Amino acid sequence: MLRRLAERFRDRLGPESVIDDPVRLRTYECDGLTYHRASPGLVVLPGSAEEVAFVVRECVEAGVPYVARGSGTGLSGGALPRTDGVLVVTSRMRRILEVDPDNQRAVVEPGVINLDVSKAVRPHGYYYAPDPSSQQICSIGGNVAENSGGAHCLKYGFTANHVLACEIVTPEGEITTLGDGPGYDLLGAFIGAEGTLGITTKITVRLTRIPQAVETLLAAFPSVETAGAAVSAIIGAGIVPAAVEMMDALAIEAAEAAVACGYPADAAAVLIVELDGPETEVASQFARVRLLCEEAGAFEQRVARDDADRALIWKGRRSAFAAVGRISPAYIVQDGVIPRTALPEVLADIDRLSRESGVRVANVFHAGDGNLHPLVLFDDAEEGAGERAELVSGAILDLCIAHGGSITGEHGVGVDKARYLPRMFTEADLDTMQMVRCAFDPPNLCNPGKVFPTPRLCGEIPRVRKGSPDGELF
Amino acid sequence: MFDSRPVTDEDAVLGVRPRYVVEPSTVAEAAAVMRVAHEEGLTVVPRGNGTRVHWGAAPRACDVVIDTRKLDRVVEHAAGDLVVTVEAGLPVRSLQDVLRTTGQQLALDSPFPSTVGGLVATAAAGPRRLLYGTARDLLIGITVVRADGTIVKSGGKVVKNVAGYDLGKLYTGSFGTLGLIVKASFRLHPLPEQQMYVATDGRDPARRVRALLHSHLVPSAIEVDGDGTVAALFEGTAARSRAEEAVALLGAGATAAGAPPAWWGRYPDGDVLLEVQGKPTDLTGLLTVRDAWLRGSAGSGVWFLGTSAEAAPRVVAKLREHLPTVVRHAPLELHETLDLWGPTPALSLMRRVKDQFDPDHRLSPGRFIGGI
Amino acid sequence: MGDDLGKLLGDCVHCGFCLPTCPTYVLWGEEMDSPRGRIHLMQQHHDGTPLTPEMAGHFDACLGCLACVTSCPSGVQYDKLIESTREEVERVHPRTRAEQALRETVFALFPYPARLRALRGPLRLYQGSGLSRLLRPVLERLSPSLAAMERLTPPLGRAYRLPERVPARGGRRATVGMLTGCVQREFFPQVNSATARVLALEGCDVLIPKGQGCCGALSLHSGRAEEAKAFARATIVAFESADAVVVNSAGCGSAMKDYAALLADEPEWAGRAEALSAKTKDFSEFLAALGPRAERHPLELTAAYHDACHLAHGQGVRAQPRSLLAGIPGLELREIADPDVCCGSAGTYNLFQPEAAGELGDRKAANVAATGASLLVAANPGCTLQIATALRRRGHEPAVAHPAQVLDASLRGLGPGVLGVSGEGGPGPSR
Repeated sequence: MLRRLAERFRDRLGPESVIDDPVRLRTYECDGLTYHRASPGLVVLPGSAEEVAFVVRECVEAGVPYVARGSGTGLSGGALPRTDGVLVVTSRMRRILEVDPDNQRAVVEPGVINLDVSKAVRPHGYYYAPDPSSQQICSIGGNVAENSGGAHCLKYGFTANHVLACEIVTPEGEITTLGDGPGYDLLGAFIGAEGTLGITTKITVRLTRIPQAVETLLAAFPSVETAGAAVSAIIGAGIVPAAVEMMDALAIEAAEAAVACGYPADAAAVLIVELDGPETEVASQFARVRLLCEEAGAFEQRVARDDADRALIWKGRRSAFAAVGRISPAYIVQDGVIPRTALPEVLADIDRLSRESGVRVANVFHAGDGNLHPLVLFDDAEEGAGERAELVSGAILDLCIAHGGSITGEHGVGVDKARYLPRMFTEADLDTMQMVRCAFDPPNLCNPGKVFPTPRLCGEIPRVRKGSPDGELF
Repeated sequence: MFDSRPVTDEDAVLGVRPRYVVEPSTVAEAAAVMRVAHEEGLTVVPRGNGTRVHWGAAPRACDVVIDTRKLDRVVEHAAGDLVVTVEAGLPVRSLQDVLRTTGQQLALDSPFPSTVGGLVATAAAGPRRLLYGTARDLLIGITVVRADGTIVKSGGKVVKNVAGYDLGKLYTGSFGTLGLIVKASFRLHPLPEQQMYVATDGRDPARRVRALLHSHLVPSAIEVDGDGTVAALFEGTAARSRAEEAVALLGAGATAAGAPPAWWGRYPDGDVLLEVQGKPTDLTGLLTVRDAWLRGSAGSGVWFLGTSAEAAPRVVAKLREHLPTVVRHAPLELHETLDLWGPTPALSLMRRVKDQFDPDHRLSPGRFIGGI
Repeated sequence: MGDDLGKLLGDCVHCGFCLPTCPTYVLWGEEMDSPRGRIHLMQQHHDGTPLTPEMAGHFDACLGCLACVTSCPSGVQYDKLIESTREEVERVHPRTRAEQALRETVFALFPYPARLRALRGPLRLYQGSGLSRLLRPVLERLSPSLAAMERLTPPLGRAYRLPERVPARGGRRATVGMLTGCVQREFFPQVNSATARVLALEGCDVLIPKGQGCCGALSLHSGRAEEAKAFARATIVAFESADAVVVNSAGCGSAMKDYAALLADEPEWAGRAEALSAKTKDFSEFLAALGPRAERHPLELTAAYHDACHLAHGQGVRAQPRSLLAGIPGLELREIADPDVCCGSAGTYNLFQPEAAGELGDRKAANVAATGASLLVAANPGCTLQIATALRRRGHEPAVAHPAQVLDASLRGLGPGVLGVSGEGGPGPSR
């Protein structure tokens, strides 16, 4: 079946857009999460919405599952291919189609790299606000699928708050637009659905004015508790920083080894606090932030002198995940959310888990919104180490749930966390979510097996009436 | 069958008088009502304070009105986390009173004394949508009673969360056609220390909107009135000095004040209210539309036009040549001719969503787009 | 390398940060033509998958620009990985006769200044000659590059043969050896002259050993390790007596800094190689450390500085050339967009992969043109040729210079005219 599809795709898309050599296919076997691997049955690299629609229609007709993938940087296996299916890679759809600074928006193709949007609109005084740590490579299409956040979403929100409309290819192979007219907010449901409701082919994003002033503070603390207290104090003072990031000693060590970011070596925790906005606002609030950090016990505070200095401060944070590779042969990047006020308690619990199990845990997180990224370290050469790390990693998620939080703040559920979803939601909750999937994708061929632990059979609910009496008006 | 209060003419939804009006005071009671309606095959229309119950089309049928106003508890206000969870029938103004005590607010405006649920169900938002977004952007979790009476939730009570589908956005603006909203969690914002308004005379509105929008001053709102007056709101610890900068930027005819202009955040007058979802640069064209009074969030490109019953068909047709235009409310006799919701892409997907959530089409039937 | 290779491969965490800086990924958007994908292919081969022609093709397509090394947060040593992989490819992958002929010609030609020199004149005539069928396509492939070099090279008569020693002016601060290179010596003798003058004007005794040959960079970066080692040993011998070796060609400097690793397994050479690597300095790297002494005269021009991969990624030298240029009064320095992405020259790459190289050259040329600068400054002869050729395809007649030439013009008080800058600004359309 796949061989026949490959021929069909070659005829329509050209031979350079179809990959079916097994050695090449295997390079697509995983995204940023290497724990799950599956070599795709076929890879296609379409160049237009029409080509995507063609591929999807062919798949549906053949009953073959398909999965969309952008740059392959996801951390939950959301774009994990199917060995019996087609991987639709959007990395060649990377044109910035329109920049409209007067209306603060731009139209881009899904393969456009997040940071490239900002680069393209910077001459107009704008940028694209959502900034996942992988922004230098992750694609906007992938961001839409995962509703990606980033350090600055504390103030500016997530992808869903910055995407105005999407052209999509529906799971039945039709090209349509979401968010461009009245009716249900299907765009809101689509963003963050992890590619299970269709494939994005064009995205209208909102652009944000480059702030007049930015101040970045790197504050070093003698303990994670005191750093956590500083965060609470800042938020409690009615300040909404652009970002508040925390790293603990182990994460600092890794970042230092990787990019020599110059963080204070003896700090048990550092906070990166960034304020942006009109100069007058930033000036008065930044002074307060510095004072609050000092009162909370910061023993060193470094203020970024210029953009280069700021970039260096952020470099340590942005490279932290990959940098942990320098201090540990293998590790799990966890992603959980807790109410910010539970931070000290949960951090103490993680520390206890780590000590009891002997599994090292480095902590990097978006402290401002309680989004934790514990990095659970292990040596994959050691027997059973991976399993022990998995246990600790899972226990951390349980802590998040117990505190009324979430099992994922930005990495998504993908294949990796589908089994944890029932700990957060009842069967009925999940069933209701899947009603949307059934509406979009009755044959369940669009990225099947992701997000939900058990697929819902879409024929379950009897359809009493199709459409409505006056629906024929349209 | 229900513990219904006496039904009066006041309870009619756009002329359709219900057989029962029930006022559940707990989520469990609300679910019980929905379950009975499901079993009996009854049509249901949810309603809060009824401030926008005249928006949208009349229901094809309405056996039961579920009045949510007794679901009015603040379930949890986690001030340190800037998060609140409330029941749907709580008036937004009461919620703001509670939040004010801790220096916080829900950054959603409404000119009416609406309930939280009503605001979410109609996706109504005011001037400050420019900075804070609308209900969809502030909603972080929602609990809904499904058509079959099952209580289900989506999202949670943390501001950052991508676990499962975000159904909150789907329910937002769904006009009671997908389920009964019973609880909602929101992210909150600190109350600003200062609030300052800057207003201009009617000259050159498009240029002034552009100047504000592209300035570094980060206004919370940029509104325009039909006579070309532009007004902006500045909030923060240094709002006064930013407002002064804005006055300088806008030139002669601009003034700063501590209070908004009288028209701020109110819908334009008229028998018919239209809402246009467009772009900031639509302003110049919209100001030339005859027989309609424009008012809107110029920075976001969301526009309202008030017009008369006679002019409405022409105005609507004219607008729809270029922009998606929804008739928010109009005299009943115009409903047939006006096509309240207008065309939209992806309507077939919307129908299928409706079929999934409400296969019998019993929830606010006919109120929504395409007769959904 | 056995288990070492396995360990090096294991460093990759598959984050993808290398993708946007990889020239072939930028071109084709395919996983297997990205560093992450190539590492995955290496892993497959390491795990026992035979080296297929497809695999070899993806390794061959790698420019070896090392941009991925710079962008990798996990410290993956892709340079080592690709070098050993190329060796493996050369060992086990059968090449077609045409491929083989091209490779042999290139490696028999470029590392040998005398042969390059001999080719300069006859080259123009080759089309009319009765060359063998096998060699003809080879020369056709080579000819655009050689022709491009010809165009940028001053007439033979003006080429100045450097003496073995150029004495310091105004008090000696250092004694340095200078590598003259192959392509640099034959096609850009003016760069070498400028380098020697600037070093002397800044107070260096410049030693230019006659016996020096190719440093081995081309061979080293193409999987021909044995050939590279032979060149390396000869170069070590030639410069053993100098305190420092100044190199004005990025590819050569990068290779010489790798001698320590290249000869690590040869006991009699390891120490000497390490010593040479340690004292090898790029021209701008050396001058920046030495500090300016000679007076800078104004040069009124706008210059776009191009990061040669083997300088920026191979040696981490980015700030020094910029600060040298910025230190010249009147000179306005402009940045080229996407500085991390290779221009497509990459040693022999534009000879073996002309299509990809041409596309990359076009991209780079577009970014260079967008700066509006009147002079393009690059510290590697390959880059200069590549970008100049691409600019010409766009209808621009660019002025190009090595940082040494720019500095030379400033120190000697010559105007921008000596650098070919007309003063109108912008790499304008050719007449």
